[in-house]
Amino acid sequence: MQEIWGGLETTSQNKFPSLKFDIGAVNDGAYMLFSAGFYYKTFMWPRSFWDKVYEPFIRAAAGLGVSPTEEDPDSYASRNLHCDVLIVGAGPSGIAAARVAAEAGLKVVLVDENAEAGGTLLSEPQAQIDGAAAWDWLAAELAALKAAGVKVMTRTTAIGYYHQNLIGLCERLTDHLPNLPADTPRERLWRVRAKQVVLAQGALEKPLVFHGNDRPGVMLAGSAQTYLNRYGVLVGQRPVVLTSHDSAWYAAFDLSDAGAKVQAIADTRGSVNEELLAGARQRGIPVKLGRTATATKGRLRVSSIRLNPVSGGKVGSGEDIACDAVLMSGGWTPSLHLFSHTKGTLAWDDDRTTFLPERTPEDCVIAGASRGLWGIEAVLNDGAEKGREVVAALGKSAGAHAYGVAQDRPGTGVSHKELPTDRSAGKAKAFVDYQNDVTAKDLRLAVREGMRSIEHVKRYTTNGMATDQGKMSNINGLNIAADALGRKQPSVGLTTFRPPYTPTSFGAFAGYHRGGHFEVTRKTQIDLWAEEHGAVFEPVGQWRRAWYFPQAGEDMEAAVSRECKATRASVGIFDASTLGKIEVVGPDAVEFMNRMYTNPWTKLAPGRCRYGLLCGDDGFIRDDGVIGRMGQDKFHVTTTTGGAARVLNMMEDYLQTEWPDLNVWLTSTTEQWSTVALNGPNAAKLLAPLVEGVELTEEAFPHMSCVECSVAGMPARLFRVSFTGEIGFEVNVPAPMGRKLWEALWEAGQEFNITAYGTETMHVLRAEKGYIIVGQDTDGTVTPYDAGMGWSVGKAKPDFVGKRGLARPDLVAEGRKQLVGLLTEDGSKLEEGAQIVFDPKQAIPMTMVGHVTSSYHSDAAGRPIALALVQGGHGRMGETVHIPMPDRTIAAKITSTIFVDPENARLKI
Amino acid sequence: MNAPLSAFPPATLAETSAAKVSSVLPKVRFSLRARGELIPLEQALGVALPRKIGETVKGAVEVACLGPDEWLVLAAEAAPVAGACAEVYAALPHSLVEISAREVTFVIEGTRAAELMTIGCARDIDALKVGSARRTLFDGATVTLWRDAEDRFRMDVWNSFAPHLLHLLQVGARELAAESV
Repeated sequence: MQEIWGGLETTSQNKFPSLKFDIGAVNDGAYMLFSAGFYYKTFMWPRSFWDKVYEPFIRAAAGLGVSPTEEDPDSYASRNLHCDVLIVGAGPSGIAAARVAAEAGLKVVLVDENAEAGGTLLSEPQAQIDGAAAWDWLAAELAALKAAGVKVMTRTTAIGYYHQNLIGLCERLTDHLPNLPADTPRERLWRVRAKQVVLAQGALEKPLVFHGNDRPGVMLAGSAQTYLNRYGVLVGQRPVVLTSHDSAWYAAFDLSDAGAKVQAIADTRGSVNEELLAGARQRGIPVKLGRTATATKGRLRVSSIRLNPVSGGKVGSGEDIACDAVLMSGGWTPSLHLFSHTKGTLAWDDDRTTFLPERTPEDCVIAGASRGLWGIEAVLNDGAEKGREVVAALGKSAGAHAYGVAQDRPGTGVSHKELPTDRSAGKAKAFVDYQNDVTAKDLRLAVREGMRSIEHVKRYTTNGMATDQGKMSNINGLNIAADALGRKQPSVGLTTFRPPYTPTSFGAFAGYHRGGHFEVTRKTQIDLWAEEHGAVFEPVGQWRRAWYFPQAGEDMEAAVSRECKATRASVGIFDASTLGKIEVVGPDAVEFMNRMYTNPWTKLAPGRCRYGLLCGDDGFIRDDGVIGRMGQDKFHVTTTTGGAARVLNMMEDYLQTEWPDLNVWLTSTTEQWSTVALNGPNAAKLLAPLVEGVELTEEAFPHMSCVECSVAGMPARLFRVSFTGEIGFEVNVPAPMGRKLWEALWEAGQEFNITAYGTETMHVLRAEKGYIIVGQDTDGTVTPYDAGMGWSVGKAKPDFVGKRGLARPDLVAEGRKQLVGLLTEDGSKLEEGAQIVFDPKQAIPMTMVGHVTSSYHSDAAGRPIALALVQGGHGRMGETVHIPMPDRTIAAKITSTIFVDPENARLKI
Repeated sequence: MNAPLSAFPPATLAETSAAKVSSVLPKVRFSLRARGELIPLEQALGVALPRKIGETVKGAVEVACLGPDEWLVLAAEAAPVAGACAEVYAALPHSLVEISAREVTFVIEGTRAAELMTIGCARDIDALKVGSARRTLFDGATVTLWRDAEDRFRMDVWNSFAPHLLHLLQVGARELAAESV
């Protein structure tokens, strides 16, 4: 509900094209056109009309509101809350339950979706509770609850009940305020974890279903009573009350006492309680029992209602009664929404013609009118009783208290299908779902057309599918469908209640996660330098990485080309800090490494490193990286950037479940180190003067060595590795020193024209050497052998993750897709992801035999190069394959994956 | 070389009537993993290692038990701890990995510091005892959360997650201050 304040601007929905000429009001002339299922039958063809013509029209006509195009200017928040008892609904039951729980010393939270706590007490000031007037009692009780530490939250809707007593609350903080306070969110989503929950949501009044029940001025009797008693608004001077429940009689009495001239109380029942008749007599209100309503008149507001006597199932002749409002009540439906979210079962109550709560698997009780009780005294005492139940469930005890209520309004009623009429039922516009314009005859038509389950009837007619989610229409719809089917309601079924209980803004769900805070953006210690030097960034998992460093006037292609050439000509510097790092330590470290990776590790000496390949137990490549043996019992493992967390989890999983006997431990050190890579023929020359503790010569520190030393005065782990085919080093220093190291190397590199390069150049340089990128050249179906990396598999090892998988028949079969190089005949660059065929002349659909995984322009190769997975590719060297593209078919020759320096001569210092 | 390392220099990062958030100089941190008879390590470290997850001790070093075989060790200097543990490695194999540079430490204090924690942490903050520490999630990121006093918390967070978490702490500190409680 939107509270009003001076200056609030509101617009009406359901008024297309204007409030006075609603297209739905075509009903007056052409309504027979718009029968149930009309949309489905009529608007399904041609298909292309749906998005652009039919759907917008239907949505506009249905008044579904307008989605804003502007960014939401408000902010949203979220919090977690733990409590012993959460009570949903601050009416009499909820307050009584809260009192009991608070007195037992429990941490209690009481929430209500309205602006004020009190529920029905706000509309029934006449009641005297334990001798106090309802509003005085309410004020005193709320004060006592707050004093006892109960957190009372108003304007807070419990939107969903999730597993294990997690309840979502949406608190509206500013919509009712004309001036927005600073730093205050519009809404806050609370995630409440309650040990016990009391559902005290009350009941919802049902409309009566008769022709003309949608005319302005026809409203629920309970609403009129609330308008009067709570807001001081008399909705009509000459109302007629039409009801099947006692409650609306009291609405008539209250309006009459406030000065309205109630024209009649018409009850569908043949007899009612004598007390009610006396009340009407005393006020001079005409009473008409055993009545049905068959029409209303009035254009912009109801001016009369046609009432007919019903006896023995026969509808007598009608009588028009002039009025300016019709206050109707079809009885009350217990609010079972949250109870149903708990997977709680419902039981049909034939007497009350409604579903009542049965069992729930959660630690939850349901109290008061939401379990079918009526009258303030009854629900107060039930609330207290349910309060004692949850207190007992939490191991505490509470004393009993019996509430006594004078001027209470207990009552009963009956529930109906559409009211009988003496006119053509087929022409009646008796609304069941006011939002979706579903009438009783639509529901009967659905049954005639073969719908048997309420779920089908609902979808065919859209009954209960509007934003109120069937709160007003579900039971009336069910009664009508059950009658049409000639079956009992429970065998026709009730549609499922799903969260949220009321429409909830996207902002509330998003909370703080929007704009820059939408998702964490991880940055390295060198990121700011890259930003200052004009880097263009790309996201890699959660990280943002420098993609390339364009200079003035350069596009991406030019920048990458320059970076590649400079690195191969002299030296390039690259931020490799995002690589995952795992420290593997313990006496069984080498055994663990032997079991995890495909490679053998036993003979790797401390101070040496090796490229490691990690498979899943299915034998497919999962990750890779260079691994250094820092000591007999200590490995420095690196993983791919995106794989860091996944690989650590996989390793921990094996360690804890398969090999708990191994004495080895894993520690994530990804963020302990900043890692700077230097590559190029001058890399060693640049680095050597800065390194203390090792000589950077071929003899003292050969390719694939690692050492702890000092670099530019910083403690470092230095690796001699290459992902470019050039002389290469990776310098790891404690993370916060990363930028200092980078700047020291940058400074020292000036005499070598050092060039900073990003991930794109890194990708090109590695592709020129045929080094794979896991996840780009592999896709979870590629084995080490498929990738041409059988050399990395330790065949003599008794076991490793993936060994059994690699022996499966389909993994050793001929004709698997294998990683090869491709060189196009026309010198064009292939598109990554393009499909490959052997015979371009075959009929379409062609047999696809693989796809391009990596493709770049290569200055070093002097032409575009590509990597591809091709069926049986390793045995097809030199053969030509074809890549059909939208405009032409490109021929390419299968080659080795190594395009530059196959002898690895450039690795030598 | 032994200068304390932090990606966040010590500073007050948010201060409202509800809570104050600051970054502090980190101590030397180690992740210690071991199992079996722990006496050699306890002698090396000079403290009894707490055995219950969440428990902490403070002596020659400050230790929090984070898992059944896992402790976080805070010390003034790295070398003495590393040296002493290395000496007992043969008797009690273990893993001692320095992680000083891996994370930064925020201190969150003030009358509503505990409520500020509820905006990012799903645990029952009221149930966290003063003098305890645990690994948990804050706004989706793994952190070590220490409760040093009723109204003072310490949060260790990996470098690259720190700006994201700090932003939420700053927003939350202002939001709490704006509430008319």
